Amino acid sequence: MVPFLSPVNQIDPSLPQSIMNAHATRSLLRRQLPTGGKQISRNAVGNQYRCFSCSVKKSQQPQSTPPPPPPKSSTGTTHFGFETIEEALKEQKVAGVFSSVASSYDTMNDLMSLGIHRLWKDHFIRNLNPGRNPLTSNTAQEKGWNILDIAGGTGDIAFGMLDHASTINNDAHTKVTVADINPQMLAEGRKRALATPYARSDRLRFVEANAEKLDMIPDNSIDLYTVAFGIRNFTHKDVALREAYRVLKPGGVFACLEFSKVRNPVFDAIYKRWSFSAIPLIGQLVAGDRDSYQYLVESIERFPSQTEFRDMIKDAGFMIPGQGWEDLTDGIAAIHKGVKPA
Amino acid sequence: MPPTQLARALPRTSRTASSRGAEGFRQRCCYHSSQYSQPPPFAPAESAILSAAMSHVPNVGFTIDALKLGARDANYLDASTNLFPRGVFDLVNYHLVTQRLALKDTVQFPPEGENGKKLGIGSKIRTLALARLRANEPVIDKWQEALAIMAQPSFIPPSLAELARLADEIWYLAGDKSVDGSWYTKRASFSAIYSSTEVFMTQDKSKDFRETEQFLDARLADSMKLGSTFGALSAWTDYTAHSAVNVLRSKGVRI
Repeated sequence: MVPFLSPVNQIDPSLPQSIMNAHATRSLLRRQLPTGGKQISRNAVGNQYRCFSCSVKKSQQPQSTPPPPPPKSSTGTTHFGFETIEEALKEQKVAGVFSSVASSYDTMNDLMSLGIHRLWKDHFIRNLNPGRNPLTSNTAQEKGWNILDIAGGTGDIAFGMLDHASTINNDAHTKVTVADINPQMLAEGRKRALATPYARSDRLRFVEANAEKLDMIPDNSIDLYTVAFGIRNFTHKDVALREAYRVLKPGGVFACLEFSKVRNPVFDAIYKRWSFSAIPLIGQLVAGDRDSYQYLVESIERFPSQTEFRDMIKDAGFMIPGQGWEDLTDGIAAIHKGVKPA
Repeated sequence: MPPTQLARALPRTSRTASSRGAEGFRQRCCYHSSQYSQPPPFAPAESAILSAAMSHVPNVGFTIDALKLGARDANYLDASTNLFPRGVFDLVNYHLVTQRLALKDTVQFPPEGENGKKLGIGSKIRTLALARLRANEPVIDKWQEALAIMAQPSFIPPSLAELARLADEIWYLAGDKSVDGSWYTKRASFSAIYSSTEVFMTQDKSKDFRETEQFLDARLADSMKLGSTFGALSAWTDYTAHSAVNVLRSKGVRI
């Protein structure tokens, strides 16, 4: 599971003055907030200071002046939140964001979503219903599902899948491969796995991998490909979708849980207000890092809408079940699914 | 713009406009015509899995296991059942839709006036209703499960809509062409009769469902009696009201 957020470890030498100021503020914060202290000292300073009012202004900008479209250059650019950066840099920057949050990850997720993210993940798992029940399946040539959890670093989706398969479907063979691009997040997942019954079994495996290049996973080998709150951070979403199509068996399922667009305009206004003002503030107070949480809300804003993402899944070759997605909490998050044709 | 260029540009634009118009018309296609075949209601992969799943229903019932077994028969995986967002209800819905559409092929009425005897609309309705009920026969032991699934709150609206489509289909096939208020009452009363008979059939243990047939006949007779009572009542009300007005007029009241 990719965390909602974390700091950007980049010091911009062109801004000595702002660094000094920010440093002074942070050390003050460190003294006042002992819980966030460790994070702050590790992350030094973000490359850009954004005040509270600027972020609110930014949240309202898209209607009048949309975020600058990435200019086409020969090297290729992509967006990192509302910024436009070189494609090659995005991976590093995202890695920086996720490197140090692992420990405050759960607390932050609970605070930002008011605990609702647990309900979304439970629903996601229950809805996919992983595992082959040995009591109802008469053919024994194939046991269990082979699940690939992309961007699943801290492992909560993986543990949920294994728990569901074991306790609901009485399936002791379903396997989960947790892949994440970030070694720190994987280390956190391995640590957490020790508290589950799967730590020393062959049912759980951790792999460091880029979702756009899954060379260690053979073609047509996966029953279920899941990515929860991760695909937003991919540099090339279409390449990742094609890679998912390659590794899935015919009939295999691509399932994605991701932030999406709220349909109701009134609720959307309240939600935008919460995400652009409260979330960076919570990030600053609890994790000691504002910029990373600013990136979180901006990347959510930049993620394609339900219909656009459904069409991206269709373009990768998948069949779409029903309308193609299911809104959670009026569209704050959405579950997208695709089935590889047999 | 020079005239030659205009001339070259014109035919192309008109052609694209007309072709797009035809395409849009075909896509919208919100009318029904027996002249054109309707597009199949399910995508090929979905109907392959669902039809295979229906063959497992007599053994495992309307359950997710039937869907999984069907998916395996159609060379899909257990996971492929995610193709059906409403789960088991999609299986029930498949049965309802395919059996409704099959009616027009399974029931053929003899051309009118063949041996001097014309088949009335009432008897056509009875034949069609029985044919539709007989289509539930292979899964009748598990049909209560399907009724229970259809009665779940989130599935009630699509189930009622499907019942309405069935009633409409049957009245259409029976050759009813009414365009007055009875259009609604006919469909409503048929829906009530059909659904009660369907529930009765799940309990019927008689040979060849003879009791179900009797039940259906009794309900149809009830509705005829009810219809004629209503007709007589309205005629009486009409007559009495007119008489009353005329009596008042004869007494000099200006009405």
